[in-house]
Amino acid sequence: MVNIKINGIEYSVEEGTTILEACRQNGIRIPTLCWLKDINAIGACRICVVEMSGARSLTAACVYPLSKFDEGKNILTHSPAVLESRKMTLQLLLSNHNMDCLACARSGNCELQALCKELGVDDSSYFEGAKNEFDIDTSSKHMYRDDNKCINCRRCVAACEKYQGIGVIGANERGFKTEISCAFGMDLANTACVSCGQCITACPTGALSEKDDTDKVWEALADPEKVVVVQTAPAVRASLGRLSVIR
Amino acid sequence: MEEANEFIDRVKNGDVLPMITSCSPGWVRYCEAYFPEFLPNLSSCKSPQQMAGAIIKTYWAKKNNIDPKNIVSVSVMPCTAKKFEIGREDQSAAGVPDVDISITTRELVKMINKAGLRFNDLPDEKFDSPLSEGSGAAVIFGATGGVMEAALRTAVWKLTGEAPDSPVEFNEVRGVEGIKFAEYNVGGTAVKVAVVSGLANAKKLLTQVKNGEVDVQFIEVMACPGGCVNGGGQVIQPAEVRNFVDIRAERAKALYSLDTARAVRKSHESPDIKEVYANFLGEPGSHTAHEVLHTSYKPSSLSK
Ligand code: SF4
Ligand code: FES
Repeated sequence: MVNIKINGIEYSVEEGTTILEACRQNGIRIPTLCWLKDINAIGACRICVVEMSGARSLTAACVYPLSKFDEGKNILTHSPAVLESRKMTLQLLLSNHNMDCLACARSGNCELQALCKELGVDDSSYFEGAKNEFDIDTSSKHMYRDDNKCINCRRCVAACEKYQGIGVIGANERGFKTEISCAFGMDLANTACVSCGQCITACPTGALSEKDDTDKVWEALADPEKVVVVQTAPAVRASLGRLSVIR
Repeated sequence: MEEANEFIDRVKNGDVLPMITSCSPGWVRYCEAYFPEFLPNLSSCKSPQQMAGAIIKTYWAKKNNIDPKNIVSVSVMPCTAKKFEIGREDQSAAGVPDVDISITTRELVKMINKAGLRFNDLPDEKFDSPLSEGSGAAVIFGATGGVMEAALRTAVWKLTGEAPDSPVEFNEVRGVEGIKFAEYNVGGTAVKVAVVSGLANAKKLLTQVKNGEVDVQFIEVMACPGGCVNGGGQVIQPAEVRNFVDIRAERAKALYSLDTARAVRKSHESPDIKEVYANFLGEPGSHTAHEVLHTSYKPSSLSK
């Protein structure tokens, strides 16, 4: 066990527990973006930073396992410096994001949007400057990829690689130009993507989404010549009906 | 039904084994691209989506005197690969595509909200005919191990003299683990099965089968980890939830409790299925059943 303090209060946690998990176990939530349990612990987005006594810079809580060397340290999870840093991280993400939120498939269910609200981002154009402009990849039957909304968290890359062992999407180019796309900028339809959609459910924003075919259904329903027959798979009922999605 | 029957036939006739399930279109596509040598092992059964679509446009259309061309067959799926599957070859039992439009759970949510339905306030209703009341076996198809268990319920019944009290629950194939093995003594013969979900796990298992390290007769593969309940078309739960709650297990629990509550838990006991076989298909594996409910595969050459 390691004895630490979280915001001045003493706790004892299992060695190897990350700061993030230690906080969670004790009722404190630290926001995350890139961390996805079991498949993506890369400490890339830095939204989960905390202040730790003895450390010169802020620490990414999702990838920091507590050890005996941390005995007695105090961790500040929501200090002014931490909150300011998280807010700035978000503003930097927005500086290269098309922010077309009202027309977005994930509006209202976007992790980036939710965090901006939580952390009080009041100026979405705080860092003005050049933005990347990417073509939207609509080549596949099942989904599209819109890198203009991508925040490079790499959760989709991890889902495709680690869950599925496929790995047809990854980071191309570097730095500002970094883009999550297929090898050689190929269209997704020309790769051996199997259309499973695990990348979509891993995506925190609207960068990845299924192709919306509901207009075709509305059209058929309105057509007096047509008989519309519907079937549902059993799993549908297991995720449907949550008050959070159905109004 | 068809799948259980195909398995029994393969065992009896000494055909290619292990037989591998074909209900998950992401998996079928994976097999065609990455493991074409296993295509003869893939069950020739269409997926449930395509089977239901095919029955609607053949049997149900005829029964109700509707030209299949005027039917728009819509499926609501936890899956994005279903959008790809509806366009596959050899999926047009009535000469027109078995399914015309496939939408995900998320798209259904959009439609419910757009239509102004206060879904949670609506009374429960039965589905209309055809295929209104699914069996418990059909409900558990959504969780990893569920397709195997459904097939076992029928196969074991058939192989052990069609006793009405044949076993219902096969707990060894349940649960969220990525790779599961089980062995059953069925009427004196040992039947060894494996269940995998997540294609990375499928790759592991198939490699072992290929190298002769694993010996099983029946394999269930679902492309998504945990099965369709965690499909790529399901309502998205943020990392905040996924990192601390196992949504695969929670959603599976919902399906298994529905199964337990059903009076009819085996496919072959379902009144709808019985009716379709009695009035249209004849026996499982019949000529008509093959025309309507089975399909074919071919290797794909997409870049990996
Ligand atoms: S749909 Fe599946 S296979 Fe295709 S890129 Fe996404 S995770 Fe990979
Ligand atoms: S969530 Fe910790 S660095 Fe992204």
